[in-house]
Amino acid sequence: MGSVEKVDRTLPLNQMIFYVRRDAELRRRWREDFDSLAREYGLSAAEIEAVKTADVRGLNDMGVHQYYVSQILRLSFGAAGASNTHPALEAFRRAYPEHVR
Amino acid sequence: MATVVAVMAATHAPGLTGWFDRAPESDQKVVLDGYGELRRRLEAVRPDVLLMLANDHLLNWPINIIPDYTVGTGEEHVGPADWFDEWLALPKYRVKGRPDLARAIVREGARLGLMFAYLDRLELDDGISVPLHYLTPGMQIPLVPITLNCTVPPIPSSERAYRLGEVLREIVTRRWPAGLRVAVIATGGLSHEPGGPRYLQVDEAFDRWFLDRLVEGDHHRIVRECTVERMEAAGSGGTAELIAWIAALPFTAGPAEVLGYAPTLAWRTGTGMVAWPPIA
Repeated sequence: MGSVEKVDRTLPLNQMIFYVRRDAELRRRWREDFDSLAREYGLSAAEIEAVKTADVRGLNDMGVHQYYVSQILRLSFGAAGASNTHPALEAFRRAYPEHVR
Repeated sequence: MATVVAVMAATHAPGLTGWFDRAPESDQKVVLDGYGELRRRLEAVRPDVLLMLANDHLLNWPINIIPDYTVGTGEEHVGPADWFDEWLALPKYRVKGRPDLARAIVREGARLGLMFAYLDRLELDDGISVPLHYLTPGMQIPLVPITLNCTVPPIPSSERAYRLGEVLREIVTRRWPAGLRVAVIATGGLSHEPGGPRYLQVDEAFDRWFLDRLVEGDHHRIVRECTVERMEAAGSGGTAELIAWIAALPFTAGPAEVLGYAPTLAWRTGTGMVAWPPIA
């Protein structure tokens, strides 16, 4: 299997992101009150830090499902116009320069 | 007993609607021509229902509960899910369901040894929304969506995906009591790795090999050689959406016709469309 096998389904962030994506109020709290939302879902300090710093490689390595990593970046930087020059994709480019052609 | 009137498969990546014009014009043409031809063929055979097979992009079940297969049993489906509005740049749409057929799939699937989860309100992501936008923009054909777990290991193997198709074929063509014209549409792929280290890569060699296998039309070889492991090697967490294409194979009666292909870095996916002759 490939990199998706790194996923740790028990990681609180993997639960939290499911509900945030589906709920406009939670998405508002993600933007405006992330720390209290993170506490409610039991995120670790490392998970919180990785989200706040858009640490793509760190999120992948700690077991966030890699599809959710892209969603976390979209929550932070916006979902519209997600072309390869979008800030979310720039974060991937910085995280994995060895894989950018 | 229902008649299978069309079997087709196509890429559904968000870029096909969300940032379509950022790809080279030649790639845009592949989509417009390929999907255009699929649409023309679909309209020509006047299906009563679309049976669509697509990845669930971690939208319908929290990650502690990941069914292999989920059937949308609602009277009506509404999409795209709110989170996808801006991303796909698509307007909201409503399409009728076929809860009678959807529930028969769940019920008869169990009798045939296959567990289907089901949801009256299945959230529709790019896997259903992008193909519907291109194939039936009027949203006039009732829909039975079936989502597959293509991204949370363990992903159903190609053998299991083929078995899924056999079970669906048995239900639709033998156990369904009324006459019905069914179009089977698989969506997803080709190579891509959403959110992974190779997010900005496409594996053209794999894509062309896979399409060649479909044109060759040897189902045993496809199932044997196009393993989930091989798909994963071509792009983890995304390429295995092609198990939906494999699940469509039991509905087919001959080699696939490739209607277009492009390795589209701008959409971060191999882009392709195929059609098969349906079983009689």
